[in-house]
Amino acid sequence: MIEFRGVNKWFGALHVLKDITLSVEPREVVVVCGPSGSGKSTLIRCINGLETIKDGDLVVDGQRLGDRATNMTELRTEIGFVFQAFNLYPHKTALENVTLAPIHVRKIARAEAEASGREMLAKVGLADKFNAYPSELSGGQQQRVAIARCLCMRPKIMLFDEPTSALDPEMISEVLDVMVGVAEERMTMMVVTHEMGFARKVAQRVVFMDAGAVVETGTPEEFFSDPKTDRSRAFLSKILRH
Amino acid sequence: MIWFQLQSLMGSYPLALRGLGMTIALSGISLVLGTILGFAFGVLRTSGSRLLDSAIGLWVDLIRGTPFLVQIFLIFFILPELGVELDAFTAGIIALTNLAACFICEIVAAGIRSVPTGQVEAALASGLSQWQRMRQVVLPQAMRVSLPPLVGQYVLLIKDSSVVSAIGLTDLTRVGWLVVQRVPNGLLVFAIVGIGYFAVCYPLILLARRLERRMSAAHGEVQL
Ligand SMILES: Nc1ncnc2c1ncn2[C@@H]1O[C@H](COP(=O)(O)OP(=O)(O)OP(=O)(O)O)[C@@H](O)[C@H]1O
Ligand SMILES: [Mg+2]
Repeated sequence: MIEFRGVNKWFGALHVLKDITLSVEPREVVVVCGPSGSGKSTLIRCINGLETIKDGDLVVDGQRLGDRATNMTELRTEIGFVFQAFNLYPHKTALENVTLAPIHVRKIARAEAEASGREMLAKVGLADKFNAYPSELSGGQQQRVAIARCLCMRPKIMLFDEPTSALDPEMISEVLDVMVGVAEERMTMMVVTHEMGFARKVAQRVVFMDAGAVVETGTPEEFFSDPKTDRSRAFLSKILRH
Repeated sequence: MIWFQLQSLMGSYPLALRGLGMTIALSGISLVLGTILGFAFGVLRTSGSRLLDSAIGLWVDLIRGTPFLVQIFLIFFILPELGVELDAFTAGIIALTNLAACFICEIVAAGIRSVPTGQVEAALASGLSQWQRMRQVVLPQAMRVSLPPLVGQYVLLIKDSSVVSAIGLTDLTRVGWLVVQRVPNGLLVFAIVGIGYFAVCYPLILLARRLERRMSAAHGEVQL
């Protein structure tokens, strides 16, 4: 579903992605972790073209990014992206947020889009917030709207970039619960997160990055209880401390 | 004395109305056209093409850096030399539209640049086309920042329209000049001219203030 083959990327002189080779199978859930600045965001932002790669191949849903034949706008409709900062549209209500792309991109009739939008918002536990503006919602509620906004497009892939790290602790689990639900419906997911409970529960694999390279991959069980490298051990001891 | 002057002023009221009408027509048409053009320029400036950005930027700087009177003369006297027949009204509309477009372009571009990149990324990630991103996500939020200065700019442009009297258009200012030749009381005549402009501008000034207050209440979008 997603395949990196020898992908490199630079920001000016900074080598942010170093020879990344990694693949995500359909219906697989992969968690990406690693220290700050290790390139996790950059890695998943490449998948939907928010960042472009310098060399190597990146094939998503059978289409090679950067190819002339690949229509990026079209490909993006198949990929949901959840941001750390939610990025809801502040001038639109929750329902308008989740129906915007279905109506304008998928060309679904408004009434139909609104019906499935309400259904999706209800599914993430926001049945009473259809007409609320983002500024009237808590962080956890906003992030759930953001997830519903992606799901309303019926994507094939969902990408999450630290979806809970901007949240107050008491709101983290309500968002993780929704994400677990998405995973249980067999969505292909790539999730940048340090939430080990989530990783253990739904991830098939954990990918550990450091300084732009994939240093270790393994099942959550292997990775968390028996990390193979010094760098992953050092990283885990840091996040386990709190 | 004053009484006679007032009486003959009263007699000039059809002329005054014509002047007022001219000022309103000229500003109204130019502001509508200038707003459309200014929005188009503002959107183009921020569309990511360096070439377009610097070309428009240069033009805007050129217009902002030269007196409006000079621009009007250039249009009114140079274009006919090049074979373009122009009456004074058309020349005035062109000059004022261009001036308005340049100022409005900058206001709109600043508004667009103030929208956080995360908003564009979210729209991009959900597959909205460039125009849809602009129309549905960026512009409504940009308007929140742009609308109060935009209305403020309208006021300045209406006042700038007085410069077109220099090419013989009988607007409010020129009516003042004409009347003063009959009624030799410049203070009185131009006080009335001033009141005429104020009557047109004051509602806009109030609107701008109201919009500015509304901004904090709205959810990222200003409803009129
Ligand atoms: N647009 C950019 N221009 C220049 N450098 C950038 C840009 N975006 C990221 N970087 C740099 O690239 C490196 C990797 O950034 P990235 O955001 O991918 O890391 P990350 O692993 O997601 O970190 P964090 O956990 O802090 O989110 C960092 O050193 C960062 O400073
Ligand atoms: Mg990051």
